[in-house]
Amino acid sequence: MTAAWIDGVSQPPRGRRPQGPGGLRLVRLHAASRRVLTCLLVLAACAVALRTALHWLPRGGVYSRQIPLTIEAGAAAVIGVTTRSPFGEPERAAGRWLPFLRLCSGLALAAVAVGALAAGSVSAHMAGGTAGMVRDTAGFTGIALLTAVLAGGALAWIGPVAYLGITTPALGAFWTTPWIWPTRPPHDRGAAICAALIFAAGLMLVTVRGARDSLRD
Amino acid sequence: MTAALVPAPSRRVPLAAPARLLRLELRRNPMLWLLPLLAILFWLGVYRPAMAGPPFWNVRATVLQHAVLFLGPLLAGATAWVGSRDGRRGLTDLVGVTAVPRWASQLATWAATTCWAEAVYLGGVAVVYGVTAEQAHWGGPLWWPAAVGAAGVATCCALGFAAGALLPGRFTAALAAVLVFLALGGGAFALQNNGTYAQIWPLNVQDGLPPDSYGVFYPYLPDLAIAQLMFLAGLAVAALGALGLPAAAGGRWLRGAAAALAAAGLAAAGTAVGLAGTARLEAHGVVIPALHDVASDRPVPYVPVCAHSAVPVCVQPAYRSYLPAVTAALGPLLEQVAGLPGAPVRVTQVAVTSVQQEPSNGVQLGGPALSGSPPVLYLPLAGLSLPGEGATTAQFIDQLRSEDATMILNSVIGDIAPAGQAAPAGRARVGGQAGARGPASVPVRVAPGAEAQLAIETALAELAGVPSGSGVPSGSGVPMAGRPLEAAAHRFAELPAAARHAWLAAHISALRAGRVTLSEIP
Repeated sequence: MTAAWIDGVSQPPRGRRPQGPGGLRLVRLHAASRRVLTCLLVLAACAVALRTALHWLPRGGVYSRQIPLTIEAGAAAVIGVTTRSPFGEPERAAGRWLPFLRLCSGLALAAVAVGALAAGSVSAHMAGGTAGMVRDTAGFTGIALLTAVLAGGALAWIGPVAYLGITTPALGAFWTTPWIWPTRPPHDRGAAICAALIFAAGLMLVTVRGARDSLRD
Repeated sequence: MTAALVPAPSRRVPLAAPARLLRLELRRNPMLWLLPLLAILFWLGVYRPAMAGPPFWNVRATVLQHAVLFLGPLLAGATAWVGSRDGRRGLTDLVGVTAVPRWASQLATWAATTCWAEAVYLGGVAVVYGVTAEQAHWGGPLWWPAAVGAAGVATCCALGFAAGALLPGRFTAALAAVLVFLALGGGAFALQNNGTYAQIWPLNVQDGLPPDSYGVFYPYLPDLAIAQLMFLAGLAVAALGALGLPAAAGGRWLRGAAAALAAAGLAAAGTAVGLAGTARLEAHGVVIPALHDVASDRPVPYVPVCAHSAVPVCVQPAYRSYLPAVTAALGPLLEQVAGLPGAPVRVTQVAVTSVQQEPSNGVQLGGPALSGSPPVLYLPLAGLSLPGEGATTAQFIDQLRSEDATMILNSVIGDIAPAGQAAPAGRARVGGQAGARGPASVPVRVAPGAEAQLAIETALAELAGVPSGSGVPSGSGVPMAGRPLEAAAHRFAELPAAARHAWLAAHISALRAGRVTLSEIP
């Protein structure tokens, strides 16, 4: 048995360097095994949802902050879930370029998420602005990647959703800790550092170790 | 061995199988791993805010109903994960041919997951109410908000489970969690825009009334909670019924029953939304005519707690801990005017004096009212920032003095208006406000005969510690009215209390009529 049948994705030939058409094929197969295309569609839907929400949302109040945050958390959760590998151990044993592919896909999806959400908020007032959105999305993505490493790619959504649940009382009660960065102003240095640290830690761990996956799921 | 020796099949088998399945699901449910996270979320989102507020049952109950916002999305995601289990593992066909119908096994899985979720929520309710029972001075737990919260938890589980079972995929759990969060946030926004039907939003507790303005003087009105329960139960039943619609769910009869259940659930939810559309806000809560019980309109009997000062100050027993602050706020002024015509003979706390709906789901609560013969000051504390609820005791006292001093002084001394102007209704907007102080202020000419009233009012406000900017001349001096007035006010304030009171008692009628001049003030 090979892993080729799992999720309908075939394995690239072993021992070939991922350059030229072969490298592109490897990237394409990796993206297909992680359902990157579906992830991109969901990110586009998040951008549309953000644009729609910003059209209706008031300029002040907790919910004017909470709804965009929810959409950002959704985008991050989807990126985290994308790290799940359907192959498990065989891929880890045979995939020489796997860390590189993980790093690229994580960075690329995070960039696409930020770009999509920025596009969704063009010409609309968003509490926190674009800088706040970039910081929050990066932080949420870092949490999702960390959760993927700890709990598994399929459960990576738990981290951003739980963190989102914590931000709700924090926004209402005006918490000031930089670790709850959505409560801080967009140009707050401490909050930006915390979010960046989480993102970097998540990306690094998912690059090196990969998501904790089980073939059962 | 003959067939006669084979024991007859037990009748309990069909019932026992789902029960055993439920026990298995309870033991092997992934929700067990999420319990610590749910407990942390409950602590941060519910317990801490609840304990930060005053120890009133209604305030704590309101926070408990809001628990759905913190627990619901995570529960929806977790149950979507559980619901998609068979689909993710490619076991749908395998479990479809077992003795127990697939729909029944799915319901058992949902029930087990919901049991754990409810265990977290109800455990939290028990802790919050247990602590409140230790702290509260009066009343008992309000169960309607807790019931709505529990129904919200079950509904989030049902919706998530149905999403996972019907649309299994790697993104289903994440999207279910986020969509539930967006739905809860969107409901708040619809309510903020005064959407009539948005009253059904499960986090809505008695519309925009402050939490401490209902369930104390009158019974907690359950009208909206009943509609919300109907709505949530309808959604849950519809979602669970939808699980039984696919061909693999069971036989024809079972699928028919599932379809009927789904339709009944949708009908119940729709009816609840329709009922919410007829809701109206009254002084003691939201009234839905079709669900309203007139017995709820009778006041709750209680024995007021009173402070024995010059003028009795009485509050509802639930507010017993605030009585010293209320007395400290009003006592100094009441001592000055006690026994004078127009002065209140009693201060009584009331629920609210009036309620007016404002845009963006706001509510304008009426302030204190001084009425009756002899006059009684009806004092609502609802809507004020109580000590420990975002205000210090000193700020609370300042709030009360600002609200009530003008009313009491106007009632005793009479409204004072600058020359050529009528006094604003119920309040005397005269010199001495913060914005009118200082050398750059525009002098206001006080009507002849009102100068003495203004001087006395200034002196009494200063003695009572009324903060500046409250509509009462206070502090040192009223420069816009001139030095003689300021001097008279200081002169009067420096009199011994007994002499001051005796002079007021003797001259109050003349003072009110504007027949006292500044020079006649001792």
